[in-house]
Amino acid sequence: MKLNIDGLLVWFPYDFIYPEQFSYMLELKRTLDAKGHGVLEMPSGTGKTISLLSLIVAYQRAFPLEVTKLIYCSRTVPEIEKVVEELRRLMEFYAKETGESNNFLSLALSSRKNLCIHPEVSSLRFGKEVDGKCHSLTASYVRAQRHSNPNLPTCRFYEEFDAVGRQVPLPAGIYNLDDLKDFGRRKGWCPYYLARYAILHANIVVYSYHYLLDPKIADLVSKELAKNSVVVFDEAHNIDNVCIDSMSVNITRRTLDRCQTNVDTLQNTIQKIKETDAAKLKAEYRRLVEGLKEANVARETDVYLANPVLPDEILREAVPGTIRTAEHFVGFLRRFLEYLKSRLRVHHVVQESAPQFLKDIFDKVCIDRKPLRFCAERLQSLLRTLEIADIADFSSVTLISNFATLVSTYSQGFTLIIEPFEDRTPTIANPVLHFSCMDPSIAIKPVFQRFQSVIITSGTLSPLDVYPKILDFRPVTMASFTMTLARTCLCPLIVGRGNDQVALSSKFETREDFAVIRNYGNLLLEMSAVVPDGIVAFFTSYVYMENIVASWYEQGILENIQRNKLIFIETPDAAETSMALEKYQEACENGRGAILLSVARGKVSEGIDFVHHFGRAVIMFGVPYVYTQSRILKARLEYLRDQFQIRENDFLTFDAMRHAAQCVGRAIRGKTDYGLMIFADKRYARADKRGKLPRWIQEHISDGSLNLTVDESVQRSKHFLRQMAQPFRQEDQLGLSLLTLEQLQSEETLKRIAQIAHQT
Amino acid sequence: MDEEPERAKRWEGGYERTWEVLKEDESGSLRASVEEILYQAKRKRVMETHGQVRLGMMRHLYVVIDCSRSMEDQDLKPNRLSSTLKVLHPPPTFSTSKGVGIITTKNKRAEKLTELAGNPKKHVAALRKAVDTVCAGEPSLYNALSLAVHTLKHMPGHTSREVLIVLSSLTTCDPSNIYELIKTLKSLKVRVSVIGLSAEVRVCTVLTRETGGFYHVILDESHFKELLMLHVKPPPASASSECSLIRMGFPQHCVASLSDQDAKPSFSMSQLDGDSPGLSLSGYFCPQCHAKYTELPVECKVCGLTLVSAPHLARSFHHLFPLQAFTESPVEQHTDRSCQGCQGRLKDRSVFSCPSCFSSFCMDCDLFIHDSLHCCPCCIHGPSVS
Repeated sequence: MKLNIDGLLVWFPYDFIYPEQFSYMLELKRTLDAKGHGVLEMPSGTGKTISLLSLIVAYQRAFPLEVTKLIYCSRTVPEIEKVVEELRRLMEFYAKETGESNNFLSLALSSRKNLCIHPEVSSLRFGKEVDGKCHSLTASYVRAQRHSNPNLPTCRFYEEFDAVGRQVPLPAGIYNLDDLKDFGRRKGWCPYYLARYAILHANIVVYSYHYLLDPKIADLVSKELAKNSVVVFDEAHNIDNVCIDSMSVNITRRTLDRCQTNVDTLQNTIQKIKETDAAKLKAEYRRLVEGLKEANVARETDVYLANPVLPDEILREAVPGTIRTAEHFVGFLRRFLEYLKSRLRVHHVVQESAPQFLKDIFDKVCIDRKPLRFCAERLQSLLRTLEIADIADFSSVTLISNFATLVSTYSQGFTLIIEPFEDRTPTIANPVLHFSCMDPSIAIKPVFQRFQSVIITSGTLSPLDVYPKILDFRPVTMASFTMTLARTCLCPLIVGRGNDQVALSSKFETREDFAVIRNYGNLLLEMSAVVPDGIVAFFTSYVYMENIVASWYEQGILENIQRNKLIFIETPDAAETSMALEKYQEACENGRGAILLSVARGKVSEGIDFVHHFGRAVIMFGVPYVYTQSRILKARLEYLRDQFQIRENDFLTFDAMRHAAQCVGRAIRGKTDYGLMIFADKRYARADKRGKLPRWIQEHISDGSLNLTVDESVQRSKHFLRQMAQPFRQEDQLGLSLLTLEQLQSEETLKRIAQIAHQT
Repeated sequence: MDEEPERAKRWEGGYERTWEVLKEDESGSLRASVEEILYQAKRKRVMETHGQVRLGMMRHLYVVIDCSRSMEDQDLKPNRLSSTLKVLHPPPTFSTSKGVGIITTKNKRAEKLTELAGNPKKHVAALRKAVDTVCAGEPSLYNALSLAVHTLKHMPGHTSREVLIVLSSLTTCDPSNIYELIKTLKSLKVRVSVIGLSAEVRVCTVLTRETGGFYHVILDESHFKELLMLHVKPPPASASSECSLIRMGFPQHCVASLSDQDAKPSFSMSQLDGDSPGLSLSGYFCPQCHAKYTELPVECKVCGLTLVSAPHLARSFHHLFPLQAFTESPVEQHTDRSCQGCQGRLKDRSVFSCPSCFSSFCMDCDLFIHDSLHCCPCCIHGPSVS
């Protein structure tokens, strides 16, 4: 249908539209108009993706100079594929309605592992192996060597692409990963490099977060993207953790050992080259004297996305003399390495800031701050000069040099923690050096600065005001949308007591309490008898789950549950878990019924959807707080308090509630779906917890469902499930939660739509 | 009271939310919105009955009753099993059912309670006995269905083959993949309908969708009865089913002693099935082979003729020529504010009036007339008054 969004003509490829989609588009339009950033929360299953795509595509067509590119970041490959399919649908609709074939180029980009079509390389199992192998075939000096020695192996796809691929632009159209591969095979071009090249002039790019946020990858892939692009982060409720992970470094003893061998290899190679081709090293030296001026020029003209690892100041200076020659640099690395080794030999926990570390390293081994800062850059240069093909082997030394650069660059926002052993196994020495980023805004800052509009969206972003705070940006729109429903298809219940009035809680003091565990078991048992097909139960951690399940086994609760349903358990092992999931779905499908026991923050809680019968109920046992004794977390909390005035408790609760919301949100994936959401902990009833749930869940929690006993919740569930099993057709939804074009234009509906968006 | 020690005391029973039943309507509440949908469905059922469709009047129906552990649940009073049997007890006359049979399933097994038979008496007896069965274990959809199919697949093509499952459990314990069986059912044109007593189970949704049956879940006891009534109406025959003429015999009831002084009491042929023996003078005699039966309807054991009496056919008449739907109009248009059926005041939003005699009725009377009476009382009454 054709929509009029605030004066903009938007083609929407469906006959019906949800009111909240319309409202969402209005907000989005406002954000784009203001050329600012936005935070938008809308429940999953209400068509977020298609609303985003159709509005932004319409905007691009209407104002081709204002917005040239849409960069859509998602988390996983299946999600990327889904976005591309929606996009294809939209474009087909455009073609059908307007009759003209438009010249939009949209493509998905993923790692080499998903895109490689080289027969040998693509058969490798791990992404790292594929990258390394690809590099050894396509690196520029490898190809240069081939001129003298034509017997070296080549990748014919890359050669072909390099020869002709760049001259001919990729024809307009929609390409998902398979389409790219097909196209590559047909033409004999490497799809990965083709895609990387094509994103420069594509109208829509769909890829993973890391291509923008991880400085190492962003530098390669995304730095030349145009400034007037719109960036969308979908499923962005965890974006701060992604930012932090991409900037943090963990060093173990094994890393150091590998690093040692790397340094030895470097040394040997330098020796060899010195004997054969001393001129090369000299040339490198001259280049380093010139400084990184070249890179600086590029940045000034605003062509590149700033790399947060390499701040501006560095670019203005030349590489210091102490590490300019290759031998000196290797010697420098050796010293640095020895120093780190000595630091890891501690017997107690050390926590210090970056300046403290720098002072210590200066005192002990006389390493100055300045050469440390150039470490990463210098290593890259050396690796290039030495023509080392297999980069994958040098990941350890690269990691160390990145650490050196980070620690000397940022005096704020990072902390350094050395732990001699893990907390759970205090007898086994396993020293780890965490250099941990406290401030997610460091990684994402270049994105906000560079692109004119950045949209952060997800099904669970409440409370909205936290995200701008911790990511340090000023949004122009912040809105939370509810789900308009023809029937109440979600039923959140807060179970606070057992049948014997014992308070249910996973808090530390009562964690081992026999009565609580028994009552939790009882809850699951009773629910397994009234809920059809699949139930997903989430625990706060693997350890907690193990304890409880063992205890249930002893009490015979598991045996009773198994009369009603089969039980599957998520484990940290990915292969085991996917096996369990498969069997779980089979049991749901053929009527036996199943329960999946899993862990909040685990794989199941984030990426897997339990539509319809795969998840008729989600039970959340306890509040999923993070492991609060972790030193990294403590340091981060302290930082948040000092820098952003966020109290520890507020952040912990916020973090716990967003994970809880993620978990229970797994059950409802659309308006025809229905499911129970059971929060089995007394503490959920408190206003500070409840208030942090997304609005679309919150508004269905009535005062009557705050502190239920197991019995009461079973009765409510029975009632709810019977109501929901009544026939429900599309006509029942029409006009209420589903609108045709005529209904949309009526005065009354527009008034109602205005109320859906909840501005904060 | 003392005789039933196992039945739980009031305070031991389930937690009930009795006050919720009293809640009539609350703006936007779940109950109100669902009830609205139900109301629409009710009306729709009345409306749907019209139009000329070929009905499968000859039915072979197996009723599968779940007797698993979950039938002991007390959310229907006194428990689900008793309530189910009570609803089934005066077995709804499944139109001109050629035969109804009952299968029970428990402990992962299925067993036949009664064979397919046209005569309801035997089923009544069997059901009465079934009240005391112990509910145990899990049901098995697969076993129950394959047992039913075993018999149904030999039934002639012009009759319908149906299974109605009353399922209380949310789980089923099957010896093999049920989806294979669903394919078989589909190819044999067996229609499976399910009435769920607790919640929507995926496998039943698929089962009914594939075989063309209905799937309903009850809300409470009265809704249960209503859903069962849905299945009384013969289903439209599928276009592919065969048509054939059926020979039927209409034996008269005669008392042998009146016509023949030498007559001696004789046994009924239905005794071959092992029914209670009894000598009698009177009975129905098959017009073809003169075998004697004490009850109708029955299929003659000797010559295979279907023996019925005229009222049996008349009973299914209304399925073929249903009463026309009443027209709905808002209550404001009517000056006479009382219902012609119950003489009560018209309180509902809308009034229903008969298209031929223009008398108005309330919603409940409308449903009663269409569900039970099958003729408009005013139309019948009218001419004699005027």
